[in-house]
Formats: sequence, C-alpha cells, structure tokens
Amino acid sequence: MQAAVESSRVGLEDFDEVVRLYWQCVHRFILASTRDADAAQTLTQDCFLRAYFARGAFRCQANVKTWLMHIAVNLVRDFGRNRRLQFWKRLNASATNPGDVGDHLPAAAVSPEDQALLKEQVQIVWQASQSLPRRQRTVFLLRFVEEMDILEIAAATGMKEGTVKTHLFRALQAVRKRLGGSK
Amino acid sequence: MKAHFSSEQISRWMAGDPTPDEVQHIRECAQCAAEAARLDSLLAEFRSSVVAWSAIHKAAEAPERWKPLQQRGRVVRGALRWTMAAAALTIAVTLPICKNVNDRRHEAEEFRADARLWEEVNDQISRPVPSSLEPLMRLVAWEPDASQK
Repeated sequence: MQAAVESSRVGLEDFDEVVRLYWQCVHRFILASTRDADAAQTLTQDCFLRAYFARGAFRCQANVKTWLMHIAVNLVRDFGRNRRLQFWKRLNASATNPGDVGDHLPAAAVSPEDQALLKEQVQIVWQASQSLPRRQRTVFLLRFVEEMDILEIAAATGMKEGTVKTHLFRALQAVRKRLGGSK
Repeated sequence: MKAHFSSEQISRWMAGDPTPDEVQHIRECAQCAAEAARLDSLLAEFRSSVVAWSAIHKAAEAPERWKPLQQRGRVVRGALRWTMAAAALTIAVTLPICKNVNDRRHEAEEFRADARLWEEVNDQISRPVPSSLEPLMRLVAWEPDASQK
C-alpha cells in the first residue's frame, strides 16, 4: 500500500528508490507465476536491469509499477516458453512447494476450525491458480495479489480492457469451481 | 425480487464487469452481497498468504545498492585486468625456468657430442698406421704360426 502511495511521486531519476519500492512486488508476482525461487530471483534482477536500460523510453504519465509489471509479465512469458525446452534445468530448479502458501495465513481472531477451513480454501485457490492458463493466471495474480485495477492490468499485459475482464471472469469461474462454489 | 446471482454473475461481479441490473441486485439482496463478500474475503486472505509466503524467500528483499550492468562491467573489467596481470606474472616466472631447463639440456647434448668426437680422435691417434693403409699392413704382416703350417 505504501508503495502505491509513493508510486505517484517516484520517477526514474532515482533508480535505487524504484528498486527499493517495487522489488518486493515484482519478485512476488514472478515467484507466484513461475513458482521457482531461482527463476524468480534471476527474472526479478533481469526485470530491473531492463527497466534501468530502458528508463529513457519511460513515459512519465505511465505508472512505474505498471511499467515494471509489463516487463515482468513479458519475462515470465518468455521463461514459460524457454522452460519447455529446458528439461535439465527443470530437474535442478528449486521449485517451490505450492503447499507452503496455506501455512502463511495471517493470525486471525477465528476459531481453529475456521482457521483450518480458511487454510484449506486458500490452498485450493493457490492450486487452482497454478492450473490456470498463463494469461488467466497472470490477470488473476495481478488483480488479486498485486491489487491492480483493470486498466493497470490492461497496460501491464498489453491486453484490451474487455479481454482482461474476460480472462479474469474465466479465472474466477475456474477457481470457484475448484472451491465447489455453486451459487 | 429477482432470483439470486448465478455462479457466472458472482464471477462477473468479482471480475469488475457487472451489468447495471446486477449492481442494483446486489444492493438489495443480502444473500448475494454476503456471497460476494465471502469470496472477496477469501481472495484477500489468499493475497495475505501469498505476500507472507513470498516474503520468506531470500530474494524477496530489495538489494541494498542497485548495481546495473555498467557497474558490473567495471567489476568484470577489473577482474579481467587482474587475470591478465596474473597471467603475465606466471609467464614471467615460468619462462626463465623453461629457458634454463632448455639451456641445460642443450649444454648436455653438446657435452655428449664433444665426448664422442674426442673418442673418435683418440681412436684415430692411437692407430699404428692410417686407416687407408691397414689392408696393406695385413698383407705384409708376418704370422709365424701360419708359415710353419
């Protein structure tokens, strides 16, 4: 949230500040997309490196976070393409365990039963998001993890606003289906 | 009152693409509003979990000081300079040693050649007649045992 507030003020003159503000969210998005800690580290560094060299082409009216996410989305897409050919790399990659996410629920004032149910549901959402097609997953993560609005997602992914809504709708349908939601 | 939201309508609502009728309905229908709120709350918990989970990874922390490629290039150039200096030092040290070994080998070969020549000269000097007269000397040589027979 703090990053969102500061994002309106920060430009690209002080790149250290850009790194400080946006490193975590870029890394988080890449990690949640690839579920590979090594790849997330490399791609995050690559993202800021590309941003640094392309900072001259950055238009001030655009949001820095949206711009960085645009680079990150492209890197994740390229990583997914290359990954299919990298059998050995996949074997060595320290892929993260999807089951880890449910263990990081913030402590809430609910009963242990409710906490267990919530953990299970979060786990289902996490697994469901993993099985989504790439574009749907990207849109889903940008909307519900990075809390970007439809226009920002459209700018970050290069999709039209309507396309973003369609992908988001389909992603939500798939997730709700996994949750067993029928209403 | 209209029927409750279908699964598609709930998803469309959450995707931020509701029709005006759906907006109106969710204002009036507590059950559909509760269902939307429940899903919204679950996705908020999902977000919190992903944020907490990603934060435990080592690479999640922003680096203290950003080092772009230009600075890395400087580091690489520095390393290259040190490597070249080390290579030059290695050559400077090993070259005289190799040269010394070669010189010694060459000296030994020369010594052996001199020794062979010296032996040949000695052989020549120690002969009673030159080598070209040796067949003649064999003809005129007196062998007492052979004449008695």
